[in-house]
Amino acid sequence: MNAPVIPTLTTGRLTLRAPGPEDFPALRAFYASDRARFVGGPKTAEGAWRQLATEIGHWAMRGYGRWIAVDRATGAACGLIGLWNPEGWPEPEIGWDLFEGFEGRGYATEAALAARAHAYGRLGWRTAISLVHPDNAASARVAERLGARPEGPVTHPTFGRLTVFRHPGPEALD
Amino acid sequence: MAHNIPILETERLVLRGPAAEDYPNFEATFTSYRARFMGGPLSEYESWMLYAAEIGHWQIHGFGMWMIHDRETDATMGMAGGWYPKGWPEREIAWVIWPRVEGRGIALEAVHAVRNWCYARLGWETAVTYVDPKNIASVRLCERLGAKEDPEAETIDSHDVVYRHPSPRALKASQLSDGIQMEIRCYSDPLFRPKGVPLD
Repeated sequence: MNAPVIPTLTTGRLTLRAPGPEDFPALRAFYASDRARFVGGPKTAEGAWRQLATEIGHWAMRGYGRWIAVDRATGAACGLIGLWNPEGWPEPEIGWDLFEGFEGRGYATEAALAARAHAYGRLGWRTAISLVHPDNAASARVAERLGARPEGPVTHPTFGRLTVFRHPGPEALD
Repeated sequence: MAHNIPILETERLVLRGPAAEDYPNFEATFTSYRARFMGGPLSEYESWMLYAAEIGHWQIHGFGMWMIHDRETDATMGMAGGWYPKGWPEREIAWVIWPRVEGRGIALEAVHAVRNWCYARLGWETAVTYVDPKNIASVRLCERLGAKEDPEAETIDSHDVVYRHPSPRALKASQLSDGIQMEIRCYSDPLFRPKGVPLD
């Protein structure tokens, strides 16, 4: 079987590239931090490693997945951002997890815009959602900045109650 | 990165990298009681995340678990390969066989092939298998493969027993491989074939 093909995207300040073994320290730190409390954390180092392996495998399973967003000016990995749709997910999602110290600079919005353009352009998605924990105000602000509107709650067996934000469709953005 | 997964062929089996279309039988096994010795039963979400991690494991390490296919029908039968996630003290030779496949020497044939590959291609000098001691079928398979309990070796969580496989040198210097091949032949081409139940 061939390795999953993971394209590289470029935005003004960021490069979105395939997750790889070199990203383990960043994921371990993120999933150990309080920032991961809305996205399945905190996780042990073992849990973070499995998450990294799952992120790569997601690309093979779905043909899309999440990228590591790299700040080109410094080369630092600043987040895990992209398209997410494991089994049982309500719908294919645009997700953004920013690592510690990279919040407040618009990186999540910038990367999510590129991911959404990829979903609508290359993958032909007709719609997209983002799931936001009700207490995660920072993430809800990113969704709103992207033009997504809250639709209502869903309940996930692992993550509990989440708010569905619906993105504007490809026609609305043209 | 970007490891393409080699294809291994044995007498009855073809081993290929885990693919998206092979997932349903994996889920059936891992969400069932069958998975009780492998951290399960898992929810559907957990099972899917684990399967994706099996694929990612290959890209991180350059080795991992193969999907076992029936050479004739291409049906999936289970998985076997090298497994070394974070938290494992040593690199493991691991396997899982779908319940209906059991009893035909499929795991023996697959594991024998993947162990040879790990030794020959990756240069491993040793390997272990972590087994729940209540998992009698796996304990028996360890023994048939020539692995021996290693009470000195570190366990994953103290609920498992560590079996250490014969080293590549020990495999070469003994008749173990020939014995395993003979046992596989007994399954694939049995001397005695039952002709049915005598009714009179």
